[in-house]
Amino acid sequence: MAPMEKFTLIITEKPDAAQRIAAALDINGNLKKMEDGGVPYYVAHRDKPIVVVPALGHLYTVAEEKHGRSYYPVFSFKWAPRYVAEKGVKHIRSWLETISKLAKGADMYIDACDYDIEGSVIGYTILKYACGNKENVAKRMKYSTLTKEELKKAYDELLPTLDFGLIEAGKTRHEVDWLYGVNLSRALTIAAKDWSGRYATISTGRVQGPTLSFLVAREKAIRSFVPTPYWEVKAQIEIDGRVFEAKYEKEIIKTRREADGVVAACKGEYGIVEDVEVNEFKQMPPTPFDIGALQSEAYSLFGYTPRRTLDIAQRLYLDALISYPRTSSQKLPQSINYNEILEGLSGVSEYRALVRELLAKGELKPNEGKKEDPAHPAIYPTGKLPERPLNDSEMRIWDLIVRRFMAVFGEAAIRRSVKVKIKVNGHAFFLRGRQTLKEGWLRFYAPYMRSEEILLPQINMGQKVRVDRIILEDKFTKPPPRYNPGSLLKEMEKAGIGTKATRADIIQTLYDRKYLRGERMVVTDLGFKVFEILQKYCPTIISVDLTRNLEERMDRIQLHMESRESVILDAIEILKPVVEELKKRETIIGEQLSHAVKKSRLEERIVGSCPVCGKGSLMILYSKRTGKRFIGCTEFFKGSCKASFPLPQKGNVIPSEKACPECGWPMVQVKIKGKRPWTLCFNTDCPSKE
Amino acid sequence: MRCKLCSRDAVKNGFCDLHSMAYDNVVRGYEAWKKALEISWKDYLREIVKNPLTGMWAKEVAEHLMKNRGEA
Repeated sequence: MAPMEKFTLIITEKPDAAQRIAAALDINGNLKKMEDGGVPYYVAHRDKPIVVVPALGHLYTVAEEKHGRSYYPVFSFKWAPRYVAEKGVKHIRSWLETISKLAKGADMYIDACDYDIEGSVIGYTILKYACGNKENVAKRMKYSTLTKEELKKAYDELLPTLDFGLIEAGKTRHEVDWLYGVNLSRALTIAAKDWSGRYATISTGRVQGPTLSFLVAREKAIRSFVPTPYWEVKAQIEIDGRVFEAKYEKEIIKTRREADGVVAACKGEYGIVEDVEVNEFKQMPPTPFDIGALQSEAYSLFGYTPRRTLDIAQRLYLDALISYPRTSSQKLPQSINYNEILEGLSGVSEYRALVRELLAKGELKPNEGKKEDPAHPAIYPTGKLPERPLNDSEMRIWDLIVRRFMAVFGEAAIRRSVKVKIKVNGHAFFLRGRQTLKEGWLRFYAPYMRSEEILLPQINMGQKVRVDRIILEDKFTKPPPRYNPGSLLKEMEKAGIGTKATRADIIQTLYDRKYLRGERMVVTDLGFKVFEILQKYCPTIISVDLTRNLEERMDRIQLHMESRESVILDAIEILKPVVEELKKRETIIGEQLSHAVKKSRLEERIVGSCPVCGKGSLMILYSKRTGKRFIGCTEFFKGSCKASFPLPQKGNVIPSEKACPECGWPMVQVKIKGKRPWTLCFNTDCPSKE
Repeated sequence: MRCKLCSRDAVKNGFCDLHSMAYDNVVRGYEAWKKALEISWKDYLREIVKNPLTGMWAKEVAEHLMKNRGEA
């Protein structure tokens, strides 16, 4: 690092943001990218030299005062560099060394990390620990997009201090979560290890436990569900040569006798139109996206998990294409300049006509929702166009955000519903029609709307209509649906547990710990066992109310209405008896968990039922003689099935939970480092092999 | 005592808490099926065993009841 005059040091959360900020602030056109120990930083010139150095997300974390992973309870902690507390992050050492070196040459410090809880903690810890207690003299850059204009404005209008309310709330969240996570997870992991002698990470946490409780409750309802029969009757009615389906007045008929009676009475009869009810109603535009709504919509439209959507949105944000995505706001303030954004978007031919239509309206007023976020507005496109080719998933999310943004300014759609009551031999049937009279906002959001149009011909009261057929359908009540990543995220949001930034990660952790499998979430035996143990020995830990209460108290810290110390002390008070109880029952808990882990490891290797014998299950096995991996039937050990199939020996092989489209056999997924995973049908006689 | 259907502790009727919950649903479900189809207990059990919407534990309970002539 060459010596230079005193400069302003700007700290950003990610390298991409550092590059964008430096480029936006440089006025000499002489932006320099430098590197020190593999750490990039940028030197720009404005009123004086500016050095912009990125973090890599969190560089510091909560860690125990004393080293070692094999004991609990642990109630004393400190903030430490991540390379000290975690494995596999050695590079963070050089990162911190570079920041410390740069800090020595600076005379002004600016925290330009994302303006939210996590960003504030990242900036604060770096300023305090790596820059030598500069947290009290540092200024704060607040922005919601990485566009040049906004970054310049944020630099010119620096906040005089860091947001200590946000920082205190963030620190408390990390500390409380660490206390919960480390104590409970260690109690479970150590119990299982001491009993079986084998290590397996068995974790739970403040939000993980209650989230697992939602899943277990649903799983129990599904597994113990008994369907009940019922019947639906429909009439095929012919009007003006076209056939329409009318539904019987009772949507559900509970006895076969009654259903048969309706069919017998209506068969071969004519119908008389007894009533025609026409209603027109307004369908208001959607509200702007907050992160939860974007994640739910992306899941339902494209099947993207909340984690994936967040990652894509983060990339679009770093490309300055959209505003900061981790927001819970449904508001779009005028200051973002609607017209300028729309004009920018008109550079895309698909949007041009839609933009023109909106701009022609004159005054633009978004249909805002109730939710607010003090730090950021709702998610919106910046109006900038991609500078690099976006991949399919990025393109989809960007288009969704753009169209949603346009739709919120649209007029209400006007739709008409028609309900025709037709009497057939004393039994009433209803024919329903739906028609869009004025598209309004639907035009802007067209690819993502599923509004059904059923156009009915002119029908008059007293009109006689022909009944072509009476249809009787046997039905059964259905179990409650399984959660999927989108619906679980919504449930967590509704219950007020976790934050917009952490919910997706918590869901992922449940998968990583093998408490869950499949996209339609199935709780594994291990998930059940962990939940049961928590429920039996420490029910407070899985209490949604307690978790929500802690969340609320942490929100109050942000508003300076509660102190960090009191929340932490209370969390310790809750944890102490829980951990003592777990310790007392260590042997029995260890035994139960060890059995569940063993079963789960076996379960993981089951590919599906054996199509050869129809009795056993096909499993990934290892030859004792050669150590090679293959597929074999569990009935082999009983001597009744010799089915076996070779498998690739390289990489990781897991059940794919999909059936081969050619032969219907279960398939496996092969993952080799550096290659795209692929599914493989191991049936040597599969037609796909020909 | 172990559950008749799994290795968990039995709590009621020889079933664990989970199979017991399923047992209650199976018994309760019969009322609706009897009314709907005028069906015998035995036929009801057969029907729910082959129904793909029946939950795994309820199916295990129904199969067990079929083997034991309808008795828990």
